[in-house]
Amino acid sequence: MTTTASARVGVDVGGTFTDLVLHDPVRNIVRTGKLLTTPDDPSEAILNGIARILREAELKPEDVHSVIHGTTLVTNTIIERTGATVGLLTTEGFRDSIEIGRETRYDLYDLFLETPALLVPRARRLEIPERIASDGRILLPLDEAAVVAATKQLVEAEGAEAIAVGFLHSYHSPQHEKRAGEIIRALYPNLPVSLSAEVAPEIREFERISTASANAYVQPLMARYLDRVQTTLQSTGFRGHLYIMLSGGGITTVREAKDFPIRLIESGPAAGAMASAFISRLTGLEHVVSFDMGGTTAKMCLVDHHEPNHKFDFEAGRVRRFQKGSGLPLKVSVVDMIEIGAGGGSLARIDPGSGLMKVGPRSAGAKPGPVCYGRGGTEPAVTDADLVLGRLDPAYFLGGEMALNLDPVRRAFETRITAETGIAVEQAALGVQRIVDETMASATRMHLAEKGKDPRRYTMIAFGGAGPVHAWNLARLLKIKRLVVPLGAGVASALGFLVAPPATDMVRSYVARLERIDWTRVNALFAEMKAAGSALLTEAGATPGSITFRPVAEMRHVGQGFEIPVLLPGLELSDADLPTIRERFFAAYRDRFERVVEESPIEALSWRLSCSAPGWTIDLAGAVPRTAEAGPAAPRTQRRVLFEGAGWLDCPVYDRYALRAGARITGPALIEERESTCVVGPGSEVVVDDFLNLVIDVT
Amino acid sequence: MSDATPDAFDPITLEIYWNRLISAADEAATGLLRTAFSTIVRESNDFATVLMDRNGNSVSENTGGLASFSCILPRTTKDFLTRFPAETWKPGDTIVTNDPWLATGHLPDFTVVTGIFHRGKLVGFSGSISHSPDVGGALWSADCREIFEEGIRIPPSRLLREGAWNQQLLDILLGNVRVPRQVLGDLQAQVVAAEVGARRVAEFLEDTGLPDLQGLSAALSERADRAMRRAIAEVPDGTWHSEITADGFDDKHTRIVCKVTVRGDTMHIDYAGTSPQIDRGINCVMNYTHAYSVYPVKCALDPFTPRNEGSYQAITVAAPERSILNPLYPAPVSARQLTGHLLAGAIYQALAQVIPNKVIADCGGAPTMRALFSGTRPDGDSFSQVLFASGGMGACPHKDGMSATAFPTNVGAGSIEAYESVAPIIVRKKRLRVDSGGPGTFRGGLGQEIELQLDTDAPARLSLLSDRHQNPAGGILGGLPGGPSVIAFGDGTKPHPKSRTSIGPRESVLLLYAGGGGYGDPKKRAREAVMEDLRHGYISAAAAKTIYGVE
Repeated sequence: MTTTASARVGVDVGGTFTDLVLHDPVRNIVRTGKLLTTPDDPSEAILNGIARILREAELKPEDVHSVIHGTTLVTNTIIERTGATVGLLTTEGFRDSIEIGRETRYDLYDLFLETPALLVPRARRLEIPERIASDGRILLPLDEAAVVAATKQLVEAEGAEAIAVGFLHSYHSPQHEKRAGEIIRALYPNLPVSLSAEVAPEIREFERISTASANAYVQPLMARYLDRVQTTLQSTGFRGHLYIMLSGGGITTVREAKDFPIRLIESGPAAGAMASAFISRLTGLEHVVSFDMGGTTAKMCLVDHHEPNHKFDFEAGRVRRFQKGSGLPLKVSVVDMIEIGAGGGSLARIDPGSGLMKVGPRSAGAKPGPVCYGRGGTEPAVTDADLVLGRLDPAYFLGGEMALNLDPVRRAFETRITAETGIAVEQAALGVQRIVDETMASATRMHLAEKGKDPRRYTMIAFGGAGPVHAWNLARLLKIKRLVVPLGAGVASALGFLVAPPATDMVRSYVARLERIDWTRVNALFAEMKAAGSALLTEAGATPGSITFRPVAEMRHVGQGFEIPVLLPGLELSDADLPTIRERFFAAYRDRFERVVEESPIEALSWRLSCSAPGWTIDLAGAVPRTAEAGPAAPRTQRRVLFEGAGWLDCPVYDRYALRAGARITGPALIEERESTCVVGPGSEVVVDDFLNLVIDVT
Repeated sequence: MSDATPDAFDPITLEIYWNRLISAADEAATGLLRTAFSTIVRESNDFATVLMDRNGNSVSENTGGLASFSCILPRTTKDFLTRFPAETWKPGDTIVTNDPWLATGHLPDFTVVTGIFHRGKLVGFSGSISHSPDVGGALWSADCREIFEEGIRIPPSRLLREGAWNQQLLDILLGNVRVPRQVLGDLQAQVVAAEVGARRVAEFLEDTGLPDLQGLSAALSERADRAMRRAIAEVPDGTWHSEITADGFDDKHTRIVCKVTVRGDTMHIDYAGTSPQIDRGINCVMNYTHAYSVYPVKCALDPFTPRNEGSYQAITVAAPERSILNPLYPAPVSARQLTGHLLAGAIYQALAQVIPNKVIADCGGAPTMRALFSGTRPDGDSFSQVLFASGGMGACPHKDGMSATAFPTNVGAGSIEAYESVAPIIVRKKRLRVDSGGPGTFRGGLGQEIELQLDTDAPARLSLLSDRHQNPAGGILGGLPGGPSVIAFGDGTKPHPKSRTSIGPRESVLLLYAGGGGYGDPKKRAREAVMEDLRHGYISAAAAKTIYGVE
């Protein structure tokens, strides 16, 4: 690396598109790019994209300090079940834990439920004589010969390409798993091994062993892939670092990503949340709902104090995409995000049973897409409704690259909705908008309620192609008073790659009642996690002194089913900290449940340490297309838009790129940019801030 | 009264309002689930929240709640209204009961209902039902002879009066239970849930400008009713019979005789001929009989319309008085699920004769098999833990049944690691039970084999609630029964399957959970499917050969 190596490039490989964003703080350049993903070898699009974006920025590969990479490869491998042949070793008597699961039906009324296909079928799950009790007593020593025999059978007879090991109580007593790992590696030095105590050291065997199995399932493929990306990058003259985006919104090293690829499961969506966090920091917003609405889904995430909310479990590869409980549970750190089946492509229909209108979760997707795309779609979608309502300009979709056709849209509404219900086309279209917005509002309210938060304290940041179109009405439904729409709806999410800090979340389980906790043991756990976290983050580009550590205990009243994360006063604790910890637990409890139960005993289950370095920052002014001319806030045209409760209103239409800081607009108004249109309802005031965000007062 | 008639709501507005009220009920459920103490609530999903109009008709219910509970709660609320007339309710008034006949059929379930007020007027009710950690009396068991042994019975009473707790009632209740703190904690959680629901409905009325819920409730009810009638109308008219035998108690097997009649868009289910009530706690009160009769019908005919008061208007259910499906006070009823869970199988066996593609074979997990251990831990603390696990579901018309999954109830299982960390018990094994899935063209789901060992030097008490030892889950249309339940101690002796017994120090007990029935002739099962089952050890080589004719 030379001193000129100051450019950073974010690369997001999605199912359809590979998105790129480049930022060079020294040369003050921001560039974005988009090209089709090359599914057979995704590194091809990565290389072509990087070459193109460097060319546009007039930079050389040597000028690149780092490439930050996010990928849907892990998710897709699990959804499409194209991963490795995995063998699993379990404690004797428990080979079926991952098949039996939680024993619940995720839909109460469906007699013919589909369950997720097993990542490791029964014949490849072998039992090993060994047993450790919940208090760490060894009830049965590890049968090492059985480990050898089982591994050989899995590899030689069953063709296993990776092995997972999941023994009972390994979250606190990992010695048998570790020994089994050594034995396997001695037998087959190149065979990837995933130990449940390393992948997800948390109590509850089904979730932990599922996570280890999923890690093993994606490991061989991801290792090959990351090696190839690294090698090909280097072959172009790139001498910088390659970092990988984690599901929790931090970045990590290639080595760590190869060891624990399952932690990349949500690496793409995490970027959007990190972008919102960045914008919330720029604009000084403490409580933000991040709202990202695209073609098939809408994603919501809360960002408090510039940090996206986290959670430590996730469901991958759902049989029914938006149905809780229909996927594989994973214990991984992810941005706590809800995904709703509501996007521009969500389809409207009349339910034959009840006669009511439904919108989504079925989506027209990219093909055939909404009716207005003219690619064969015949069922009206949300984008079609937006077109009927005047929110979208048929001549300026994707900056005019794609012409939208209104006539077939009207015909689709007539045959599918009007003929069934007698509701006129415009009212049907308004109905689609009302239903889809209410669906998103309900899901968001529920998400906030689960955390005991009040939407009225939040500001919404909206992006994604359909986000700014629906955000104003959604904010209104949620009684959110302020809405911020950053520049470049399609770019905003990718910015997250460039602002993400080196970060890692570590966890250890140790279950004890608060007053009986052995603090020496807890302090040792934190010391161990701190050392490992520091080493990893330093490798991922952090300066050692700059790392911050956030120790958290997952606590609950004895007997309760849900743990509450409680921030601990330090990494070296003693009984003297008990009053503080107890107080914080009650405060967190009251926050969520509006009451406390003081006399009931408290226990801690897991101990987490979040380690992170400061994130990067970006000056977005470099992102305005050079061609745009600055001017006063003057509309370029006018269009009629149908608003709920207000009827058809004449709306001035503004060019987003011509708006400069300080510009003011009063709704109703439409503000158009290439990938999206921001709809502002009657009476709302819009101000363009110093970062070129639209700041909208929703009243 | 509201001026709004059902027609005043168009299909768009109604969809929006319905979803909003369902999510209000979901929010109430979240409040309950998260603050409840009893493991039974969260591990077994043993609760529901319901929002009702001023007449006690259900408007919406939480999405994941126990189907029988959401069906019963409005009935209980209507009874409350006869005792506490609408005009006497004040904001903050909350009524509670656990009366088996008025509510859910046994004492451990508490029903808690709060009034919803909007602009000073009573507009509806927000309620929940939740399984309490304890109600005194005998441990949760099946062998009591009178309800008085089964615990304390609270007739409909004010739990809160204008927001103030009824301390006398609490003192009486908490003075009669083993774990007062937890019982109170769960009741408080129910009150929180009721308040959340009431608040959300009031906000909804404020936002929409509706004066009350009456017109909307009628419109929603009409939509649900319409969907169910449409589904029933697709079933040809006729009458179909079935009969199911259960283990009953001791040598008294119990018989469920079922007659399903479809006329146009209505259905009648009649249990005439069913065994008389008995002097053990497996009697199933009419509320529970009704709930577990209509629920399986909805699953088979109209699974996707959200449920409310209208859903079951087209279906009538009758059971003779003093029968095991309609016992009279003071019959013991604590383990009423051992009878009530069997009704789905009886109804499906009848309906299999006319709509074979919409029903499943009998389920091994119906009724649920429960083992409750209680005693003292080595550290001196007491413990009381129910082991949650399920048998296999019956096979479907086009695929195998789900293994280790309950139906018609939706009981989850907790983690063994978590179980062992609270109870001094070592689970020696918990795995699928080979050959327990009833053979058929489509195989029944597998049951489980679970072996537990007491890890203390003192004995513990063990209460067993189970059936299907002599009457396994039947197959349909040529399918064969699943494996029966078995419970045996380490020395081979078998305890009474519905009894309170004890288990000695370091002694072990083996529980074999029943498999689901098969669907269709096993000889017609695809050869590849049999070979796969064999390869993964779901069936033995002997079964492949003798039952399926595959070597």
